[in-house]
Amino acid sequence: MAAVITTENLGIEFYRSRRRKLSLREMLFRQGATHSPETFWALRGVTLQVHPGEAVGLVGANGGGKSTLLKMIAGVLIPDEGTVSVTRGVAPLIELTGGFIGELSARENIYLTAGLHGLSPDAVEERFDEIVDFAGPQVRAALDTPYRHFSSGMQVRLGFSVITALDEPILLVDEVLAVGDKAFREKCYRRMESLLAEGRTLFLVSHNESDLRRFCTRGLYLRSGELVGDGSIADVLAAYNEDIKGAL
Amino acid sequence: MGLFARVGALVTKRQVLWTLVKRDLRVRYARSWLGYLWTILDPLAMSGIYFLVFVHIFRKGDIGHAPYFLFLVIGLLTWQWFSAAITDTTRALLQEARLVRSTNLPREIWVVRVVIAKAIEYALSLPVLALFVIGYAVQGSVALNARLLLFPVGVLLLFLFLIGAGLLLAPVTALVTDTQRVVRIALRMFFYGTPIIYALDRVPSNFETILWLNPLTGILELQRAGFFDAPVAWGAVGVGAAVTLLTLAVGWRTFVRLERAVLKEI
Repeated sequence: MAAVITTENLGIEFYRSRRRKLSLREMLFRQGATHSPETFWALRGVTLQVHPGEAVGLVGANGGGKSTLLKMIAGVLIPDEGTVSVTRGVAPLIELTGGFIGELSARENIYLTAGLHGLSPDAVEERFDEIVDFAGPQVRAALDTPYRHFSSGMQVRLGFSVITALDEPILLVDEVLAVGDKAFREKCYRRMESLLAEGRTLFLVSHNESDLRRFCTRGLYLRSGELVGDGSIADVLAAYNEDIKGAL
Repeated sequence: MGLFARVGALVTKRQVLWTLVKRDLRVRYARSWLGYLWTILDPLAMSGIYFLVFVHIFRKGDIGHAPYFLFLVIGLLTWQWFSAAITDTTRALLQEARLVRSTNLPREIWVVRVVIAKAIEYALSLPVLALFVIGYAVQGSVALNARLLLFPVGVLLLFLFLIGAGLLLAPVTALVTDTQRVVRIALRMFFYGTPIIYALDRVPSNFETILWLNPLTGILELQRAGFFDAPVAWGAVGVGAAVTLLTLAVGWRTFVRLERAVLKEI
């Protein structure tokens, strides 16, 4: 089967400090990446392929480039080097409540956020009940109150519910595999499992070993922006733990 | 990606674009019940003030075409659209940073949607203009002419100019936040550099040619042509249209160049 995610020698360079010198020349004529000591490569030389139905867990210390890689696959960061190609649609569980507006009601917000991620109003209509049911009875009772009156738990529950209702075959998850209280987290896990059983491709960034072991079959290990391990999740976690032990 | 591919990507996402525009309008009108009134109250109040100041205090009723109040209303409604769109596109990427960070949409959408939403607000304010025109026409002080057809041409030019300016300003602001302050001051200066409260033909001729460079000069010439008998300054229209297209080209190019840096920054 053809790969759904392919990266080729992928690299991205960031500025060390927030202050960047910006000249008019750079604005209009910058070609390619600039190289100066004020920058560092958050990720470099990453080449990998992910096939449909695979569940990949991204492992590594903070600052290793995990979220950066995820964002480049999601298309919300543009690489400075190499290429990334994603051949199927993506449901990004990155900023769950990013599209929600406090002043509008939960009902309006569901239509808006789902619409932003490419769902037509008819398609939202069709799964509206499913989305609300999943978010729970508290959310249903408050459907017509402004979203900002929701508790933070209810807000992320609704966000999770909307994004996981998207039809996209690839799920990109940055730490938010499960949200809310204990009961709701269990619900999230079950939904994830059923999505995986349907044959979705999962790309998960997490520091939670049990989550990684539960959902992923393949592991990728990123260390200081380099891909240093690619194998079964158990092997990759073992290598990662070995490194941690060595550093202590 | 070439320019055409980028426009194409935007067109395929028109449903999302429309969703965003509706969201903008809904938020604006959900926040205050006076929502619609504010869009017309501001230009009308300013028209009243300028009318009082120039006609009754300075006794200079002849600095614009007659009737001067109608002259002011046309100019200030357009100015309202212009300044609101510039202010909002300037922070278009910053304000929606969370969405820009989490959705893979053609990034131009964040600018274009502001300009469209403001254009719709402008369109909604036109019935007020129509009321004034009817009033003056009944009174006999205004006679419409066929050049009214130039009005939508002016609207289209302003729309294109705003997209160009927005594509230029939004990424620059995301990288250099001070831009917002600079834009606020520049807008105030721009107001007086635009024939809003005065007519172009009342300007000393050496200044007049400088004003041609301001695209709003030509746009207002087109918009006012149908209501007043004064000849259209085609030089201003031509130069203004050229500046508009240039702004659009430079804006789009800048946006594409800076996109990568902006995504890292926000």
